[in-house]
Amino acid sequence: MLSFALIFIAGIFFSGIISRTKSIFSGRKGPGIMQPIKDIIRLFRKGAVYSQTSSFVFQIAPTIYFSSVVMAMLIVPFGQSKGLISFNGDFIFFAYVLALGKFFSIISALDTGSSFGGMGASREALYSMFAEPAFFILIGSLALLTGHSSFQEIFSALHLGSYITYALAILATFVLLMIAMIENSRMPIDDPKTHLELTMIHEVMILENSGFDLGLILSAGCLKFAIYGALIVNLFIGIFPYEYTIPLFFITQFLIAITIGTIESFMARFRMGHNAQFIFALTSVSLLIFFGALLILGKFI
Amino acid sequence: MNEEITVFSNVKIIDILYNTTLFEFIKTMHESELLMYLSFGITLLAMIAIAYVPMKMKARLATFMVIANAMITSWIAMPALFGDALEYVMYAGAFMGNITIRIDALAAWFMVIINFTAVTGVMYGAGYLKGHQSKPAKLSLHWILFLLFQLSMLGVCVVQHGLAFLIVWEIMSLSSMLLVIFDHHKPNTIKAGLNYFVQMHISVLLLTVGFIWVYFQTGSFSFDAFHTFFGANSNIWLFLIFFVGFGFKAGFIPFHTWLPHAHPAAPSHISGVMSGVIVKLGIYGIIRIITFLSSDLLLLGEIVVSVSVLTGLYGILNAAIHHDFKKMLAYCTIENIGIIGIGIGVGMMGLGNGSPLLYYLGFGGALLHVLNHSLFKSLLFYAAGSVYKQTHTRNMEKLGGLIKQMPKTALILLIGAVAIGGIPPFNGFVSEFIIYSGLLEGMKSSNLSQTSLLILTFAGLSIIGGISILTFTKAFGTIFLGNPREKMNPTPHEVSRLMLLPQYIIIAAMLSVAFFPQIYLTIISHIVKGLATSRLGFEPVGFYSFATMISNISIYSAIFIGLIALFWGVRTVIVKRRSQSSQPTWSCGYEGVATPKMQYTGKSFSKPLSKILNFLLIEKKQFTQMKPSELFPSKREYNSSYLDFFEHFFIRKITRRLLYAANYFKFIQNGRIQSYVIYGIVFIIAIFVLTALNILQ
Repeated sequence: MLSFALIFIAGIFFSGIISRTKSIFSGRKGPGIMQPIKDIIRLFRKGAVYSQTSSFVFQIAPTIYFSSVVMAMLIVPFGQSKGLISFNGDFIFFAYVLALGKFFSIISALDTGSSFGGMGASREALYSMFAEPAFFILIGSLALLTGHSSFQEIFSALHLGSYITYALAILATFVLLMIAMIENSRMPIDDPKTHLELTMIHEVMILENSGFDLGLILSAGCLKFAIYGALIVNLFIGIFPYEYTIPLFFITQFLIAITIGTIESFMARFRMGHNAQFIFALTSVSLLIFFGALLILGKFI
Repeated sequence: MNEEITVFSNVKIIDILYNTTLFEFIKTMHESELLMYLSFGITLLAMIAIAYVPMKMKARLATFMVIANAMITSWIAMPALFGDALEYVMYAGAFMGNITIRIDALAAWFMVIINFTAVTGVMYGAGYLKGHQSKPAKLSLHWILFLLFQLSMLGVCVVQHGLAFLIVWEIMSLSSMLLVIFDHHKPNTIKAGLNYFVQMHISVLLLTVGFIWVYFQTGSFSFDAFHTFFGANSNIWLFLIFFVGFGFKAGFIPFHTWLPHAHPAAPSHISGVMSGVIVKLGIYGIIRIITFLSSDLLLLGEIVVSVSVLTGLYGILNAAIHHDFKKMLAYCTIENIGIIGIGIGVGMMGLGNGSPLLYYLGFGGALLHVLNHSLFKSLLFYAAGSVYKQTHTRNMEKLGGLIKQMPKTALILLIGAVAIGGIPPFNGFVSEFIIYSGLLEGMKSSNLSQTSLLILTFAGLSIIGGISILTFTKAFGTIFLGNPREKMNPTPHEVSRLMLLPQYIIIAAMLSVAFFPQIYLTIISHIVKGLATSRLGFEPVGFYSFATMISNISIYSAIFIGLIALFWGVRTVIVKRRSQSSQPTWSCGYEGVATPKMQYTGKSFSKPLSKILNFLLIEKKQFTQMKPSELFPSKREYNSSYLDFFEHFFIRKITRRLLYAANYFKFIQNGRIQSYVIYGIVFIIAIFVLTALNILQ
C-alpha cells in the first residue's frame, strides 16, 4: 500500500520535473512542475473526437492500458513493505500485465487505419520486445543472487556489501533506467517533442486519441516512469527504516527525473535503425550482472 | 485384476470361442474394455453408414459419432486421470502376440484433450463444409476419415506395444494426410500433402528403428522392455532416435518443415485439430519415452531445452513475418511446441538433479501448456477459418476492417491472440508462468552450465513472449482493424451460429483453466507423480503449495479484470457527459487522400524485424527492374515472400542431391509391364536360390 501511494505521488511530479530540467538547460522560462498534471486534468474534462474508421478496440484500449499500469503499480514493493500483490515470480506477472496494456495500445493504433498509427505500433512492438530479455535476465540474476523470486524478497535480501555488489547495483540501475526510457519512449530511443509524425514512436501511436482517453494514456505514462523509478530505488534501500527510505525514495526519483531531463537536453535521438541494436545491447549489460551474481555466489571455479 | 490378465492372455481367443459361449468370453473382459470395443465397433459401422446416408445427415452422423466416442472414451479415461491406471491385454494373433492396452494418467490426459478438440473440430467442420454439398463422395470420405483419425489418435495414447503402436501411428498419419488434401484439385494442396506424407514416413522409419533396436536387445515389443533396455544400455542414442522420430510429428526444428505447408492447405477444422492435438502426440511420445529413462537425464534435458528454445524462437520469428495467416498460425504452433519442450527439458533436469519441485514444475508446465495450446490454437484456427470462408483469401494484406462485418469472430480471435501470447488474465499465462518458475528454480542448481543455459532460456522465453505480441497485434490489426484493403465480393458477414458455438465452448474451457487452475494442477500433479513411479521421494509436496499460489494468481487476474471494469465504468460515466464526434483519420491536414492503400500493411509492420534478422528470415523478391530506356513504365508486379531457412538451406539441398542420385536409377521404372514382370521373376528366383544355398533361412 505504501509503495502504491509513494509511486502515485512521485508520478504526479515526475514529468513536470523532466520538462522543468529541460527548460532550464535550454534557457527557457518553461512551464511549472505541475503543468503536465494540469494538462491531464484539462484533458479529462474535454470531449473527444474519434476516427470514423475506429471500432470498440480504440475506445477500450486506453482504459486497459491505464489499468495495466495501475495493476503493475500494485506489484511493486517498497523496501520491507510488500506491494499489495506479492508472490514468488511476481515480476513475471508484472511484465506480462504491462504487456497486455502494450498489446491493446498497439492494436488501438492500428485501429485508426492511418499509416502513422501502424508506423508507431510496429516500432513500439519491436523495441519493447527487444527490451524484454534485459529485464528478465536482470531480475533473474538478482533472483539467483538472493535465492528468492518475488520483488519484495529479492529487494530486501539484496545486501550491498562488497565492491561487486555496488558494481551490480550501478549496472542494474543503468539497465532499469534504460528500460524506463524505452517503455516511456524517451530520448535515446524516441523523441517525445519531435514535430514530424514519421520520426515518432509513442506520440504517433496516440495521435488519434483525444479527451478522456488521451488523459488516461498520459497519466499512465507518468505512473510508468514512477514505477521504474521505484524499482531503481528498491535496489538501494533494502533494510533501512522508513524515516530514511521515504525521503530517499523522493530524492532518488527526483534525481532520476533530472537525469532523464539532462539526457534529453544534451542528446539527439538515435537513428531508428540503430535503436534495436542499442536496446539489445542492454541484454549484454544484464548478462554482466548475471556473471557478477555468479561471481558472488562463487559458482565460477 | 492381475490374475485375470495373465489367465486371459494365455488363452487364445479361438479356444475361448470354441469352448465357451460368446457371452462368457465377454464376461472375461473388463467393463471399460468392453465399452471401448463397443465404441470402436459402432464407429466402424457408422463409417460405412456415412457413405450411404443422405447428404444432410453425413455431417450430423459424424458429429454424433465423434461426440459419442469422445464421451465413451473420456468416461473410460476419467478414472485413470484421478486414480489408478487401467490395464488389459489383447491377443492379436501369432505375429503380434499380446498387446498391452494401458490407460494411465498420462494417456488419459491426452485422450481427454484429443476428445475435446475432436468434438469442437467436428462441430466447426460441420458448419465449415456446408458449402461443399455438391460433392457427396468427397464429404463422405472426409467424415469417415475424421472418425478414423479420432480413433487412431486415441489408439496411439493407449497402446503399449511397439508394433501395434507403429500401426495406429501410421493409421493416424495416413488418415490425417488424406484429411489435409481435402481440396485435392489444387496442386499446392497435393504438394503439401505429399510433403507431410514423406516427412511422416521418415519419422516412422526412426521410430521403427528404435522399437526394433529395443526388440533385438530385450526380445520384446512391449513398452515394459524399455525399462530393461534403458537400465542396461546407454540412454542417449535411443532417446535421441525417438526424440527425432517424435520430433518430426511435434515440429521441433529442423524437423518442422511440414507444418507451414500442411496447416494452410488443410480445411480449417482439420488444421485446428492437427495443430491442437496431432503435433501434441509427438510430445506424448517423447514424454512416454522419458518415463523409461534411467541415466544421463541431465545431459538429455539440456539437449531438449536447447533445441526447444531455438524451436520457440525460430517458430515465432517466422510467424511474425508471414502474411498468410494460416501459415503464421502454423509457425506459431512450432513456437508453442518449443515452449512445451522447454518444460519437458526442465522436468528432465529435475529428474537428473533429483529435485522433485523442478521435476513437477517442468512436466506440469509442459502438460498444462499442451492443454492450453490445444485450446487456443484450435480456437485461432477456427476463427481464421471463418475469415477464410467469408473472404476466400489467406493473405492478410488483402483484408482489413473486418471487425465491422464479423465482430464476433474478431472478438474470438482477439481473445485467442491475447491468450496465446501468455498474457494474463487468460490461460496461456498460467502454464507459461509455471515454466518460468521451473526455470527460476532450475537456475539455483550448482551446475554452472545448467544455470547459464536456464537463464538464457529464461531470456529466450521472454523474447518469444515479446515477438508473439508483435505477431498477433500484426495479424489482428491487419485482418480486422483499419479500412478494408480490397473490395470483397460478396461482402463478408458473420459466420453461422453452428460455427461460433464450438469457439465459445473453447473460450469457456480456456477461462476455466485461467480462473480455476487448481483443478487442473491437481490432475497434473497426479499424472506427473505417476510418471515417476520408479523414483522414490518424488512427492509433489512443493508443487501443492505452488498450486495454491497459482490459484492466488488467478484471483489477481480477476482483480485485474475488476480494475479494468472499474475504470471502464468511470470512463463511460464521464465520457457520456462530454461531447463526442466522429471525424476522418488525420492525414496531415489533407482531406480525402487517405486511401486504404496508405495503411500500414502486415508486411510493413514486421519489416523492421525481418530486416534486422535478414540472415535467418530470408526474403525472396520477384520483380522486373525498370530499364533506363523505358520512358513510359507499364504496369508491373512485385512479389515478396519469405523462405524457410531450414527448408531452403538444408532440406532442399539434401533432396536435390537425392534426386540427382536417384536419376541414375530411372531406367528401373520405365513404364513397360514386361520389365516389371521380369523384376518379379528375378526376385522369386533370387529367393529360391538364396534359400537353396542356405543364405536365407
